[in-house]
Amino acid sequence: MGVIESLGAMVKAYPQARVVAFADLSSRMILASQGRDDVTQELLDVLCQQARTSFDDPLFSLSVEAFGEPHGAVVMGSDSLRVFLRSESEPADALCCICDHSIDLAGFVAKLRTTLEGITAGG
Amino acid sequence: MNRGTIPIIARLQSLQTTARVAPGGARVIAEMSDPSPLTALLCEVNETMLGRSLTFESSAGSSLTLEVSGRRVLRLTGVNGIDGAESCLGAPALEDEHKDQVIKLLQAVAMPRNELRVIASGISREREGVSVGLPVALLADLLLIDLNRLEQPQAPEPESEYQPDQEPETVLLQKAEPDAPLPPEPEPFAETMPATGALLGRLARGVGPTLMAWLIVGGEEDGSTDGPEEMVSHLQGFLADEGEALTHQLDQITTAPGEPICIVLGATLAEGHSILCARSGEGLLLGVIEGDATQTLLRAWAAALG
Repeated sequence: MGVIESLGAMVKAYPQARVVAFADLSSRMILASQGRDDVTQELLDVLCQQARTSFDDPLFSLSVEAFGEPHGAVVMGSDSLRVFLRSESEPADALCCICDHSIDLAGFVAKLRTTLEGITAGG
Repeated sequence: MNRGTIPIIARLQSLQTTARVAPGGARVIAEMSDPSPLTALLCEVNETMLGRSLTFESSAGSSLTLEVSGRRVLRLTGVNGIDGAESCLGAPALEDEHKDQVIKLLQAVAMPRNELRVIASGISREREGVSVGLPVALLADLLLIDLNRLEQPQAPEPESEYQPDQEPETVLLQKAEPDAPLPPEPEPFAETMPATGALLGRLARGVGPTLMAWLIVGGEEDGSTDGPEEMVSHLQGFLADEGEALTHQLDQITTAPGEPICIVLGATLAEGHSILCARSGEGLLLGVIEGDATQTLLRAWAAALG
């Protein structure tokens, strides 16, 4: 399954996911995305930057001290939440998502991890 | 009143309370406006001496059936609408290893702002052997719930305070300014008042025991902490050194200036440990989560936002 199809499968399985995007955090670029029509490129660029910042210091260093390198982040605001997952084998590869508060977060994160591993393994 | 008489007075007050029966025959033990349905649930178990099967039903749709006896939770025999009961359901007797899971299940069925009802029936058959179970006092201690909480006399409400068309939450906040003298200051992690207090405190209490250590600096609940002293001290040291940088990091991931925000960083988020950081107004919450951060986090955040 290609990247676009994988992202599309995520959005189809979780309609509360407004956008699911595959990003290269090192180059700060969203490489592919699927989701609702009102998601603009500007929003995707901001999303990618927020993913990089979430895995940045000082919280990154605190996490490393506490349990090791973080590969997952959830950012919750007043009307949405964002989920960022970094690949464990290719840490620059990440999936970045904007979701409704009503999403089944546990199931979504589990499926997101599987999807990211599939995309990374696919090269 | 000496300490020895408090449990007696608490039991007498409980007996004096008029029970409301919901359609279907279940007895209502916590109204939607009750700040702590979980306290009501544990008190119900605490006041059950003979062997009984208690089915707790939430107006949110979930339910839990416990066999209890002698102030102990012996077994979990039924679950509806709540995940994560596999290790406990059907265990011949609940043991210490089940207590964290049992606490999560109790918190899931006794959610604030939902009515909680109970149906009591006899235990269907006697089981052979000793069934120790989990003492309800242990569960209450872990949740910092006082099973012998005495009801304070309600001061008469001035006519201008109560408006029938207000949401129950607003009425609860108004009643939080009593004319009567205040009761003793609650513990920092007071499960008895999860629906009140500032957002960060509500979030910390809402996440529950999964949040193993935390502190709040700034804002209304400045200085509130819970958890092992060495962990809290480490978090304090981090905030002292990195508070400004942390504020800047949060500024960059906030979508709207000034909005409340919460970030959780974990190795996988589903197991192991995670770091939780939240900001609301002038307050900052920093904590360490142990275990699955995804199960209770969203619910706690939504509840904290109100």
